[in-house]
Amino acid sequence: MSTEDIKHDDQTTVPGRRKFLNTAAFAGLAGAGLSVGLSACKQEAAAPAAAPAGAAPAAHGASDCGKYEVAPGQLDEYYSFSSGGHSGEVRIYGLPSGRLFKRIPVFNMDCLVGWGITNESKAIIGTKPDGSLKYHTGDTHHVHQTYVDGMYDCKYMFVNDKIHSRLARIRMDTMECDKITELPNIQGFHGTFPDKRDPVDEKINHTTRVFCGAEFSIPLPNDGSDMNDPTKYHSLFTCVDSESMEVRWQVLIDGNCDLVATSYDGKLAATNQYNTEMGAHYQDMMSSEHDACLFFNIARIEEAVKAGKTKTYGSSKVPVVDGTKAANADPKTALTCYVPIPKNPHGVNASPDGKYFVCSGKLSPTASVIQHDLVLKWFNGELKEAREAVVAEPEIGLGPLHTGFDNKGNAFTTLFLDSQIVKWNVEAAIQSFKGDKNAKVVLDRVDVQYQPGHGFTSMGETKAPDGKFFLSDNKFSKDRFLPVGPLHPETAQLIDISGDKMKVVADHAVYSEPHDSIIVRRDLVKTRQVYNLDEFPNAVKDPKESGVFRNGNKVTIKMVSQAPSFSLPEFTVKKGDEVTIILTNLDKVEDLTHGFAIPKYDINFLVNPQETKSVTFKADKLGVYWCYCTNFCHALHLEMRSRMIVEK
Amino acid sequence: MLSLRALRRFLPALASALVAGSALADTYDVKLPPELSTSPKLCDYAPCKDVMPGATSFSERRGQPPFVEAYKDEAGQKKLLGYVMLSTDITDIPAYSGKPVVTLIGMDTTGHFTGVKILKHSEPILLLGIPEAALVKFNNQYLGKFVGDNIEIGKSRPEENLIGLDAITGATVTVIAQNQVMMTSGNEVAKQVGILKPVNRPQARFIASTATPSWAELVSDGSVQRLVVKAEEVGLKSDGRPYMDLWFGYLNEPSIGRAILGKYGYDGLMSRLSAGEHAIFIIKTAGMDSFKGSGFVRGGLYDRVQVRQDKDSFTFRDLDYVNLWGVSASGAPAFDESAIFIIRGKSFSAAYPWKLIFLGNKIDKETSTKTFANFDKEYWLDAKYLEGGRPKVVKPDPTWLKVWKERAVEIGAFTVFLLLISVAYASRDKLVRRSTHKNKWPVNAFKYTAWVVSIGFVGFTAMAQPSITQVLTWFHSLLFQWKWELFLSDPLIFVFWIFIIVTVFVWGRGFFCGWLCPFGSLSELLYKIGQAVGLKRFQFHLPQKLHDKLKWVKYAVFFGLLAVSFFNMGLAEKLAEVEPFKTTFLVGIMNRSWPYSLFAAGLLGLSIFTERPFCKYLCPLGAALAMPTTFRWFGLKRKEECTSCKACAKGCGSLAIDTKGNIDQRECMLCLDCMVLYYDDHACPPLAQERKRRTKAGQPLTPINGKGYYIPIHPAPADKKQEGAAA
Repeated sequence: MSTEDIKHDDQTTVPGRRKFLNTAAFAGLAGAGLSVGLSACKQEAAAPAAAPAGAAPAAHGASDCGKYEVAPGQLDEYYSFSSGGHSGEVRIYGLPSGRLFKRIPVFNMDCLVGWGITNESKAIIGTKPDGSLKYHTGDTHHVHQTYVDGMYDCKYMFVNDKIHSRLARIRMDTMECDKITELPNIQGFHGTFPDKRDPVDEKINHTTRVFCGAEFSIPLPNDGSDMNDPTKYHSLFTCVDSESMEVRWQVLIDGNCDLVATSYDGKLAATNQYNTEMGAHYQDMMSSEHDACLFFNIARIEEAVKAGKTKTYGSSKVPVVDGTKAANADPKTALTCYVPIPKNPHGVNASPDGKYFVCSGKLSPTASVIQHDLVLKWFNGELKEAREAVVAEPEIGLGPLHTGFDNKGNAFTTLFLDSQIVKWNVEAAIQSFKGDKNAKVVLDRVDVQYQPGHGFTSMGETKAPDGKFFLSDNKFSKDRFLPVGPLHPETAQLIDISGDKMKVVADHAVYSEPHDSIIVRRDLVKTRQVYNLDEFPNAVKDPKESGVFRNGNKVTIKMVSQAPSFSLPEFTVKKGDEVTIILTNLDKVEDLTHGFAIPKYDINFLVNPQETKSVTFKADKLGVYWCYCTNFCHALHLEMRSRMIVEK
Repeated sequence: MLSLRALRRFLPALASALVAGSALADTYDVKLPPELSTSPKLCDYAPCKDVMPGATSFSERRGQPPFVEAYKDEAGQKKLLGYVMLSTDITDIPAYSGKPVVTLIGMDTTGHFTGVKILKHSEPILLLGIPEAALVKFNNQYLGKFVGDNIEIGKSRPEENLIGLDAITGATVTVIAQNQVMMTSGNEVAKQVGILKPVNRPQARFIASTATPSWAELVSDGSVQRLVVKAEEVGLKSDGRPYMDLWFGYLNEPSIGRAILGKYGYDGLMSRLSAGEHAIFIIKTAGMDSFKGSGFVRGGLYDRVQVRQDKDSFTFRDLDYVNLWGVSASGAPAFDESAIFIIRGKSFSAAYPWKLIFLGNKIDKETSTKTFANFDKEYWLDAKYLEGGRPKVVKPDPTWLKVWKERAVEIGAFTVFLLLISVAYASRDKLVRRSTHKNKWPVNAFKYTAWVVSIGFVGFTAMAQPSITQVLTWFHSLLFQWKWELFLSDPLIFVFWIFIIVTVFVWGRGFFCGWLCPFGSLSELLYKIGQAVGLKRFQFHLPQKLHDKLKWVKYAVFFGLLAVSFFNMGLAEKLAEVEPFKTTFLVGIMNRSWPYSLFAAGLLGLSIFTERPFCKYLCPLGAALAMPTTFRWFGLKRKEECTSCKACAKGCGSLAIDTKGNIDQRECMLCLDCMVLYYDDHACPPLAQERKRRTKAGQPLTPINGKGYYIPIHPAPADKKQEGAAA
């Protein structure tokens, strides 16, 4: 019936790369046409959807897919916080509906809210000495949250910028970016993950650090020296303080960092490496048989930092410890542990029980299961070889990339080349690895459209996954949506994983290019309704404080908005003035946001209820400029204007 | 937000309204002097005299929140007249526009409102369509009302001490906010100056319990309450669904909160609350409408739900709303609308009872006009959740109880009167034996006393004339909603009805109609007076045949009224004016318009000439009581001879005795005339005959037995009896 028996022999031993490539070619010919997932909704009608009482949208209609719809007036069960790739933003969707709720501008500019236009946002993004933005581009990949006791606390989420190696923090009460830190001496900042507790202090059972991996090795410092000697290129692994967003320390390593994971006990951080050869070209990067999953012993690193066993590179003051293989030969004092795994892996994920890390093979059709306490044993010198920490390496399909977990000990891995999601059992894989021929490792496969990148389960990155949904962020949509020109949307496919068989239950079109997301139960998220006036030091708290205040050629315009008017119906400045407009929205009603646009001066921004924003610009054009409210606010919204008069 | 289409229609209207409305919109968005809210001399900037008539001077702002004192010069002395307050000094409750209606309020030293003036409002709704005068008119409803009363938008409910205000159709958010502003402002100042005692309800201390009750357990211990509003209650046609079926409960108590919200939901919610803030949840499991409405979208105020604790009411703004994701208690019903509302008032305490109020619009079927109707349900945490149990709460007596207490003497006297007359009637055998057809005073002394008391005390003084409308109300209550309060609110009528129902089944309706009905008594008394003053020759009865036809008219009247009442109670009540009771006793013949007066006077005038014309032919109440009289226990006595002897029938003022001598108990007024005859050996033909026979035969006249015959001289042999019977 299905093609899986033909395509994959799960019981065969670990194949070499040559064999794998043949299989890949065959799989490519076979195609994904004989799908088991296309009509998934109608199949397996008996699969139970263990919805929380009262929360599930009522099942209606004959189609099984109907129960994944969210009827008018009903609310989604989950938030999905998703990266936006090279759009530079973060997005919030509702699941299971797939409705887009919000786009949070982070590294990009956004003329809707005025991100990159207001002084406040510019200060967060970072400016050149002349006040203009330092960067206008960004590439967000991974979104992860702060934790308390292995569970989301919904205080902050962190997202990386791969282009300029920056880490941004989004506060989850307002869902706005509040800090951005640029990491020194690295390029290609890809993987990131917050820690879940302190490795030493038992009392700190929450996130205090964020780990960041650098994918592209560069000369240290990258000041023009050693440019033509790739053997001198290095990658650093970086730790950032989650509260202050200051860089705490960095680790010099062999090879590069791809994705990052952290253990539930706070002791280890992990990154998979696909270029242990440290090749500068693609063919060099695939030359050796093994790459590694690299583990960092956080407590030891911080001791070393404390002990001053550090150096710095270039102008950076960040202490860097040596985590190379050569400097860490003795496991008992080692800061790092390089666990060899098949070539060019991608993705490392911690299992919710805290016992394992799963590293996907990418070019190898395997997933490597690394046992957490065995890595700790290696650090204690109780393990002969680091490779012994690998307790399973099942063959699961072609192009495995990322793995999510349910609450029953199963792993769900995206297969990029097979264009499938494979469901496999971790304990069975371990038994099989030990030689148990009866262990049934692969439990199910489902086709996705097409070629999944990241995949993640609902609540799967916490100690309490609920095993309800898997979201497959597919890189290609091809024929799945109405064509909109050569650039297609991507597909985020929702898969019900609550039953024995996976069921694709929805195709959601997403604008390019989400990489990673987290699916968070709605009851954990606590957002604010309106801002607090007192949190803005420059707030104009009373309409009577409005006015034009001149200090030489610097002019400050203080203004408030109250539907349907701005407190200054007009204001006059002189050509050549440096004008700062401070606008406080004194409306207190929820959702009553105003906009403020100035024609020809390239300014637009929003002020939410009780929020204050400011812009600074040079009044370089004479004339009358109608400033107006851009965000629909009131029956008299169109009348809500102010006049900027620029005179000689 | 407006849709574009709506906007296109709306904006031209708005523009024209702005042009035309400038003269009307007196206080729309006027610019107020900034000193109004800052200067100590409030009244230099506000028209304080307008809200405190007679005041000649005012103090500076004082107190927290601030108010001013108003004085009148009296013989050179400053006399405190009352207090004036500016609403925005006290509360910032926003109205529909999201901005407060700036209101100047005057209150006298006894806490009664003396004036209300709007200084500024930003309500677009009052700019478009609804005249600002409507708000002025609304505000004028407060004049003379006491700040300590429970004043709410909607119908008055005297049984709950609730004073209702008429809302402005189409501006509900505005008036709800305005009511909140008026009562909050007035209360704050009244507490400061000692008119009202500050309410201090200690906060609840919860007994920490780890139990996670199921939905059924929450319902059974009252932690979750249900408020149902039927479609009929808001004037809608029922399609089987209720108009609103809400379940609600208090969430701060940990075991209830966790049961409803789950651990994370509960912790998350509690982390949002500051000390003294409370959360409740509401879910709607069925219904035709939304309990949230959409008023909150623009103005930020939910205009359909409120919480009230004694005199403090709590409305919810949009910022007081939190999503309720789901109810995790097992067995919870499915719902299609849900909310968590935060109560942010210092005076609220979960240890004390409170009410959820649903504010609905009742649509009148004929006119389609909407009136406010509010519905509520009490909530009081079970003692097991509270440290030290439930505090003692002295609830004010419901109005009906107050009335009973106030009128205790009257009620007692009335009850004694009814009992005495009953005892008299119960002893009728003795009374009628003492009477003769020439001297009925032993009976009449009691009956006439009853009449006089009924007319004078029950009718004119206590206004306790029973009426057919009460029967109709009773029918409706049986069918739709039984409210004891409704019946208890008039104690004499209540006692009277209990008495009537009992006596109808014991003796028949004649006891009430003939002895105790005020109008009936008046009617027959007039007849008797007419008789006494020499009008007897003009007095007449209708011919029996005609009477026997006409007597059915009253049944037709009764069923007619009953039928009409099912379609339109108001009309039925109007038609019930066929009873001249209201005109006669409640209002007074001289005080009503001529058709009513003429009708009542006509009936009473006619009564002088013919006995009880209204009772016989028209009275729907009599008809209603006549039917159950069929099943009375004790009727009047009859003799075998009555089948042929017409003596009683001749004297029957009620024309209740037919040609066969049967008494129609439904028509009989229990005047007892025939019973007097029954024992009267000079009047009852068979008895008189026997008397004559015995006298002739020289036999002694033995006493008359219970069957209305002389006790036989000899032990009765069969033939003797026959002889006696034949004689």
